[in-house]
Amino acid sequence: MCKNSGVIEIDSKEYPLALREALKNLVASQGSKKLYYKGNWDESIFKNCLAVVGSRHLTFYGRKSTEQLVTQAAAVGITIVSGFMYGGDEAAHSATVKCGGRTIAVMPCGIDVIHPPQHKKLYQEILENNGLIISEYEGDFLPQQWSYVQRDRIVAGLSKAVLVTEAALNSGSLITAGYAKKYGRKIFALPGQITSELSRGTLKLIKEGAEPVSEAEDIIKYFKILVNPVKKIAKAEVGKESTLEEKIVAQLRREAMKADDIARLFAVPVAQIGTTLSLMQLKGIIINNSGKYYVN
Amino acid sequence: MLIKVPSVANLGLESIKVDIEVNLANKGLPGFDIVGLADKAVGESRERVRTAIVSSGIDFPAKKITVNMAPADVPKEGSVYDLPIAVGILSSVLEFPIPQKSLFLGELSFDGSLRHTKGAFLMALFAKEFGFINLFVPKDSANEAASVKGIKVFPVENLVQICRHFKKQDEIFPVVYKQNLEKESLPAEFDMKEILGQEQAKRAMEIAAAGGHNIIMVGSPGSGKTMLARALPGILPPLNEPESLEVTKIHSASGDIPPGGSLVTRRQFRAPHHTASLVGLVGGGSKPQPGEISLAHRGVLFLDEFNEFPRSIMEAMRQPLEDGCVTISRAKQRVAYPASFMLVASANPCPCGYALHPKKSCTCGLNQIAKYQKRISGPILDRIDLHIQVMPVDTTEFEDNQKNSEFLEPSEKIKQRVMAARQKQEDRLVSESIHSNSQMKNIHIKKYCKLPKDVESILRQAAMKFQLSARSYMKMIKVARTIADLDNSDEISVNHMAEALQYKPKNYEIA
Repeated sequence: MCKNSGVIEIDSKEYPLALREALKNLVASQGSKKLYYKGNWDESIFKNCLAVVGSRHLTFYGRKSTEQLVTQAAAVGITIVSGFMYGGDEAAHSATVKCGGRTIAVMPCGIDVIHPPQHKKLYQEILENNGLIISEYEGDFLPQQWSYVQRDRIVAGLSKAVLVTEAALNSGSLITAGYAKKYGRKIFALPGQITSELSRGTLKLIKEGAEPVSEAEDIIKYFKILVNPVKKIAKAEVGKESTLEEKIVAQLRREAMKADDIARLFAVPVAQIGTTLSLMQLKGIIINNSGKYYVN
Repeated sequence: MLIKVPSVANLGLESIKVDIEVNLANKGLPGFDIVGLADKAVGESRERVRTAIVSSGIDFPAKKITVNMAPADVPKEGSVYDLPIAVGILSSVLEFPIPQKSLFLGELSFDGSLRHTKGAFLMALFAKEFGFINLFVPKDSANEAASVKGIKVFPVENLVQICRHFKKQDEIFPVVYKQNLEKESLPAEFDMKEILGQEQAKRAMEIAAAGGHNIIMVGSPGSGKTMLARALPGILPPLNEPESLEVTKIHSASGDIPPGGSLVTRRQFRAPHHTASLVGLVGGGSKPQPGEISLAHRGVLFLDEFNEFPRSIMEAMRQPLEDGCVTISRAKQRVAYPASFMLVASANPCPCGYALHPKKSCTCGLNQIAKYQKRISGPILDRIDLHIQVMPVDTTEFEDNQKNSEFLEPSEKIKQRVMAARQKQEDRLVSESIHSNSQMKNIHIKKYCKLPKDVESILRQAAMKFQLSARSYMKMIKVARTIADLDNSDEISVNHMAEALQYKPKNYEIA
């Protein structure tokens, strides 16, 4: 599979300092263990780490926001750490590799197992982009319920700050945030709608003092990385839109909607709305996700 | 003394003539036997005939009675031969002639009266084809048989009545066919205007009804999938005459026509439960009976909770979906039943059902969802033209909906549009011996659905962008053709094609 793999002992000089410090505060059974890894062990990767965790059932909003924040953070050289699970973790890893950034996947299973298996391609891409796969477990150990939680303590420990994108109450993402709190790490949370179950956890974090994130700048500033100011590029307006299309885009910028709702809102027969939506989709102005339309 | 009474045997939807030969011999011990490959129900008719004759106040002859059913190698089944056997015996006892060119069918009751018997319609068709004039059937089955023009159908109430008729002491008058509207025009369970919201789903239903397209609805529990399906019969056009004959034949063979019933003119709506057996659904048995898919011929087969159906049943429907008929082969016989139906399927997106729900969150793992969705195989999905997602309606939207009456069309109004669109299709496809757009094969599509340049480019673009398969590509053209028909347009325009794309196969994965 991968040419470079190995083990880092606890007392090794290469053992990430931040992690060692963090785990000292925990009870002995949760203390540091040796780390198995795949990829190029390069200490610079641990310099600026941001953990990005989110629900397995990430909503479309969560995914889009993750992509936006992570892409910008990874672009300035921040390493994205996450747990390789589907949903929030997967969104963070993929967004990083897509823009060529470095990412660390902390596995809840043995170093030789790809779990979940459908992420095989992502696994390869992480390694190709100079990322790391880390695990505390050797060989083909399968993930257990407790090992997910144990993994979370590494994810938080490696990072300077943790960004929680979406989390239900009592979810694994909140466990990671809990560890981060214990270690004294900064916690960022993505604000969501109060009606969404997957925003309950993040809103709770914000209430408890986590910093709400509205743009990647918020995170980058904390890492004290200087960035050339980027000129804001005005979104290219799509030319030759009929008024209905313009109205739909304006509406969808505010809120994602079903075709039925759009038809009712503008009092246009649903057949005509269907036609318009299809054409807009073809032009790439909007996209459909699980029945709702979003501005692309 | 040898008497011949003609009747028929039904093999699937085919009928063959059976001669009931009754011999009353003076020599030999008194007895009553039936020969000629009779099944249990036919064998038992001995007791029914004997008792019915006795309770009609006629002495049962103390002779050796032998009944032969010719041809002897064709299996006979059912209770239809009670009347011909009884008439044969009575004509000997009471000495009346059996009129020429007459067929008899009917099950006897112990008191001598006749009961509603299945197959009267098939027999009437046979009679007409082979030049029989008189048909003697139970009173309850008479109307069904009389729907075939050009024969005299005599409604028989009991044995005494038919004997008096033959002895010219009384007369039975042939029935005049009466289309039984109350029994037939059972309205749909719901009217389309009762369904609040779901405009797009309703529109998809309209298109499906207009073109006879198969449709699948995916949505959370309580989003209205079943209600939409149950409202569908209300917007379906009535059967035309040849279709009506086809459907009535199947229903007559399966015994699904009620007493006093007439031609089936309403499109059937069959909704078998997902625990239905394979034979129950596609038909079968050692004497092959039509299954649900045949009973839904020219109508709707609604499969609720589609992915709960066993794989074997779904796969068995592939061929009928393609060919519009099913051939059931058994060791003793092979029967082909027509099965050209419109499949309406509904399914949940995931095991817990809430993957597409706007508020509730789904608790299923990704693997579970993938496994659940894989239960519907690709080949089956490929044969479904319209794919829609149904989302639950927000109760707070109800008020708005009531106000916006423009969106709440009654079924009757939609039905008018559907009928007009069907008429256009029939006119166009009349030379191809198919009835609706959904039945078009690729060759028909090439011939009747010429796409203007701009429409084709839209479709090509969409095929690239949404990764449509070649089959989906063709299906989009069919659906666009139906939308154009609903619009009363001879050409498929960009608008029609763009709307059709709304109903393209969707990738339901939530990842």
